[in-house]
Amino acid sequence: MTEEKKPEERKKRRTATEAASKIGPMVRASIGGTVQAREEGKPLAYTFICCCYDEIIRAMDVVPVWTENYAGVCGAKRDAQRFLERAESENFSRSLCTYALCGLGFDAWREELGEMPPESPWGGQARPDMMLGSGQLLCDPRNKWYQAAQHYMPDVPIYDVGLPWPAYENDYDYREVQDYYVKYIVEELKGLVKFLEKHTGKKMDWERLSELVELTDRTWDLIWEAYELRRAVPTPMGTGDAMNTMVPMVFMMGTQEAYDYYKDLYDELKVKIANKEGVIPDEKYRLIWGGGLPSWFALTDFNYFNSKGAVFPVETTYRMIEATYNFDMDLSKITDPLEHIAWRWVKFWTYWHDRARKRPGSHPDVERLIKYIEDYKIDGIVMHEAFSCRSWHVGLIWQLNLLKKVYRDIPSLILESDIVDISSYNEADTRARIDAFIDTLEAVKSR
Amino acid sequence: MKSQYFAGVDIGSTMTKVVIMNEVVLASVIGPTGPEHRKLANQVMEEALTKARLAFEEITYVVATGYGRINVPFADKQITEISCHARGVAHLLPEVRTVIDVGGQDSKGIKLKDGRAVDFVMNDKCAAGTGRFLEVTAEELGVSLDDMGRLSLEAENKVEISSTCTVFAAQEVVAKLSEGAALADIIAGLHEAIAIRIYGMVRRLKIEREVALTGGGAKNIGLVKALEAKLGFPVLVPPEPLLTGAIGAALLGKDIVKEAEKKGETLVRSERRLTEASIFT
Repeated sequence: MTEEKKPEERKKRRTATEAASKIGPMVRASIGGTVQAREEGKPLAYTFICCCYDEIIRAMDVVPVWTENYAGVCGAKRDAQRFLERAESENFSRSLCTYALCGLGFDAWREELGEMPPESPWGGQARPDMMLGSGQLLCDPRNKWYQAAQHYMPDVPIYDVGLPWPAYENDYDYREVQDYYVKYIVEELKGLVKFLEKHTGKKMDWERLSELVELTDRTWDLIWEAYELRRAVPTPMGTGDAMNTMVPMVFMMGTQEAYDYYKDLYDELKVKIANKEGVIPDEKYRLIWGGGLPSWFALTDFNYFNSKGAVFPVETTYRMIEATYNFDMDLSKITDPLEHIAWRWVKFWTYWHDRARKRPGSHPDVERLIKYIEDYKIDGIVMHEAFSCRSWHVGLIWQLNLLKKVYRDIPSLILESDIVDISSYNEADTRARIDAFIDTLEAVKSR
Repeated sequence: MKSQYFAGVDIGSTMTKVVIMNEVVLASVIGPTGPEHRKLANQVMEEALTKARLAFEEITYVVATGYGRINVPFADKQITEISCHARGVAHLLPEVRTVIDVGGQDSKGIKLKDGRAVDFVMNDKCAAGTGRFLEVTAEELGVSLDDMGRLSLEAENKVEISSTCTVFAAQEVVAKLSEGAALADIIAGLHEAIAIRIYGMVRRLKIEREVALTGGGAKNIGLVKALEAKLGFPVLVPPEPLLTGAIGAALLGKDIVKEAEKKGETLVRSERRLTEASIFT
């Protein structure tokens, strides 16, 4: 039976930083921790990244089970196919989000067995006591995934946090309605707190929440400062590593551990820069990962880029923070923790609006690319179209075309595959494309 | 000064092409790649050398390209097919700004600037939009691949083929035949289907005239016409569209040698002789 086949684990990807190399064991410990927490009777919740509720669940001592993370781990370990096939046999279409499919396949199997599926990667995904949806960014799985999971766990309640994504219009300033956005988010978060209080039997510690909110602000600022160090030539850290170092950013926010991790990363990058120690000794091409989630089973492609003299000092993917002191308001003056979280959310998603308005025909996502291209001295742009992720990927080509129209022509490469489904990937073809892209970079540089 | 000769070896998924040239093409050979032939690039090379009346030792520089370029142990350098096609087309048709190459199992678009590739797109995941699409459907229709293009021009009432999957398209063809559709009309529909796929891909590059069509697809008049209909203007086709990659490879080898001479550098050539690839043995 296909379900019982377990492929061989791939050899580890080379990392440039110590910080990135620590992530594997951290994630493993975190996933193991959720299984243990379940055994100890602690409240567990299925959770999404970029959810706006990191500090809230931490303050309530709810243990998060990051379902996207677990699907990514299965993908990285090249052990997702049996869960995808299981979901398919449950009649879910293979063209749906493969994070969701992997998770649903896993849940269906675990619930049927009453225990973890055989040889589940890193101990398996623990059964939750509740599921916290987080709908925004037009990503329907963030609402629908847990509703579908409830087919297998009808006893597990869901709270769906609705989060607005402020739309950009070049002739309209979001500030006209920002108070409404904030009010809406605060109401949603109040509802979440009530839901958590009901299902944990515990009252929110508002003082603790305020402390965690302040800690998160500091962590955002520190991450921004650390990542900005990658502007250095040669760059001390590439996107391959950033696909690891994003873990505390999206899965551990609101913890001292996350802050300490980025302090270590900051210090490590400083030392590397002082020693002129780059990702590779001879950096020829500086690239931006300009969008798209990575193929978790093919992160060694970043090493392949490196072998051709190419590095990625910057990426838009999983850079889910800005320096809060760069916002157009003093966030520290918002003392109510829920309001504070709401304002931070609105200011993050509107951060590039003003720049876009200044350039005719531009767009915030494109302005972000332009700023990074200039700040990080970028020669070319690489994007990844993951077929199963519509919300993040549907506009990538449009962004690329707009970038070339409003800014300048720049060599570009579109990789095509998926986040989890390895059947969409062909290493030889991918590398043939990378080779050809390097040729075009060289042609443009030598003109 | 001793004459210099340059060889380009283009190992595609379906055909292997070798060109030997100095200022002009002295000899060229086109043969099937095939699973058995894949390791025998040396044999095709020997055939070309015989035609050119040259010994391998007289070749100044050998560049290999195409999907099988790593299987050419006697090459001095491997260069991607994107760069080689660009160089070949720029040499043969200098006015060209966009190249559409339709090969046996992939198709690609290349944007040229100052004779070099500055952007590209590739379809290498799906047979639709490649020569393989026509190969499979020709077999289903019992028509030789060489006749497909000519027959498509005889269509009076083109049949729409809706399947983008090659396997399903082949099934659809059988269904259309049983419905009584004329052979030429079905073949014209197949050519339009492949042209739609290729055009949709190449449009990403912002197509600039002139456009050259290369690869095996360029030898199919039905595909040339179908693509011209999509583009809205005529395309240019090199005299032997299968050879542009190999010619480009030879020319890039020449560029490398000339550049080294200009700088007074000594080129370190591959020490390996004309032997077959060992990777498959």
